[in-house]
Amino acid sequence: MKLLRNIVDSIRPHFGKGGKFAKFHRSFEAFDTFLFVQGNVTRRGSHIRDAIDMKRTMFFVIIALVPTLLFGMWNVGYQHYMAIGADVSFIDQIVYGLIKVLPIVVVSYASGLAVEFLFAELRDHEVNEGFLVSGMLIPLVLPVTTPLWMVAVATIFAVIIGKEVFGGTGMNILNPALLARAFLFFAYPAYMSGEVWISGTAEQLDGISGATSLAVLASNEGHMLPSLFDMFIGTIPGSIGETSTLAIILGASILVATGVGSLRIMLSVVAGGLFMGGVFNLFAVNDFMAVPAYYHLVMGGFAFGAVYMATDPVTASQTGIGKYIYGVMIGVITVLIRVVNPAYPEGMMLAILFMNVFAPLIDHYVVQSNIKRRLRRPVKAQVTI
Amino acid sequence: MEELVNIFVKSIFIDNMIFAYFLGMCSYLAVSRTVDTSVGLGFAVIFVLGITVPINYLLEAHILGKGALIWLGPQFADVNLSFLTFIMFIAIIAAMVQLVEMIIEKFSPTLYSSLGIFLPLIAVNCAILGGSLFMQERNFGNISEAISFGLGSGVGWFLAIAGIAAIREKIRYSNVPAPLRGLGITFIITGLMGIAFMSFMGIEL
Repeated sequence: MKLLRNIVDSIRPHFGKGGKFAKFHRSFEAFDTFLFVQGNVTRRGSHIRDAIDMKRTMFFVIIALVPTLLFGMWNVGYQHYMAIGADVSFIDQIVYGLIKVLPIVVVSYASGLAVEFLFAELRDHEVNEGFLVSGMLIPLVLPVTTPLWMVAVATIFAVIIGKEVFGGTGMNILNPALLARAFLFFAYPAYMSGEVWISGTAEQLDGISGATSLAVLASNEGHMLPSLFDMFIGTIPGSIGETSTLAIILGASILVATGVGSLRIMLSVVAGGLFMGGVFNLFAVNDFMAVPAYYHLVMGGFAFGAVYMATDPVTASQTGIGKYIYGVMIGVITVLIRVVNPAYPEGMMLAILFMNVFAPLIDHYVVQSNIKRRLRRPVKAQVTI
Repeated sequence: MEELVNIFVKSIFIDNMIFAYFLGMCSYLAVSRTVDTSVGLGFAVIFVLGITVPINYLLEAHILGKGALIWLGPQFADVNLSFLTFIMFIAIIAAMVQLVEMIIEKFSPTLYSSLGIFLPLIAVNCAILGGSLFMQERNFGNISEAISFGLGSGVGWFLAIAGIAAIREKIRYSNVPAPLRGLGITFIITGLMGIAFMSFMGIEL
């Protein structure tokens, strides 16, 4: 540790004013603060003294994402070998998943961080930590068959249009990871929907396909649905990170325990989904409506979105009551889109984006009503006297 | 009844005036700086659309359309006044906007002064005329459908301008690149909101 600190300190002068690499001092700063907690603090404005800064906060989210990532890797291998009918060991499945998933993670981080560093140098702001999380979320919400160049294009689009034009981390209105997915979803629909979810190498079989549980329901074949247990554990086809509700609950407990993710939002999303699912159960004219409401929680990206996407502290509602409204609306709209909209079997992504757009409006009215209520207080007190 | 609800929901979310047809962009971009003003303008648009679409529907059905004048007598069966459509629609809209202006000036002078020139300009807001022309194009069966369509379109426009106004208030202190400040970033936000509204495209009601 000491050695690393010394190395960083010894090359610091080169990045200072007049040094050889003065142009790159933002990049240097980023690596420095990534490795060590800063000794100096903000120069202006009020701040709270705390051992945890934004880089560490973001790191907790990454730790919370590890269970889903590991499970996702294994599941990719498991689905692949099951589809070709080979009986191989656990290690082989993991290795296959690693070979498939790791390049996507690397491409997402490399392209996104390249844009981040470029903007930090050009606009002379600090390198934003937020991308550490977005760069991990983007691979997890993509199907494993997504070509790498698409991952790069979507990441760059999301970072520039979704975040940097607003001034970087903390200023964006839409979740960058979801924006990347939405970009691919609308720009290359053939790759993102349909039934090309299971990975298959081109020389073996041309596109081994398996329908996701939502696609099964959308085509009204409810009896083909995997068992509730399988969907909960996550041994089903789907995007890399979304399949295992178990791993996601593990991550959620880390987020809630460390105070990084908002339990209010997670619970109200679940409540909204259950409510809407229950309403559709009353009608139950097709398989999608008849499926028990709690099935919606374990199918598709519902759990993943509720835990990692909806709770994004930047794009979610900031006020307490606002968080309940925001969460419930996400749950309701998700199930609504899933069941009612024939164009998209999955609604989580679009529901969260939709509520991201309206989160500032919800906050505005919650704050206004609080102001009104507090203005009335002294008047009331006088009357009682 | 179900048909009315369908038309209403469809015109709010699926055929949204802003995000599906890009109508009424001028006041949407210009007045969306604060939530309160844009909510005021939004209500004015709901009111004007909710009144003009059904009135224009009656005009279309009983005076302007081909053979609509038949109630005057059988010799009018071949009269087709549809070449007057635009001018009649605009006249109705302008009259209604005058009415709204008088009401707002009377009851909320602050809103009246903050809306400024954009209040009378509702008369030439493309969303309003667009509403009447869509009504004509879609051949609604009766006047309640036209009312439901007019109100729905207005609510959709209201949601759009209220949403973007809240976002613009939120990003007021953001470090937006200098060339994009103001209208530039507003266009980008509108595009991003459009992506979010695409969640409802394809729903068949």
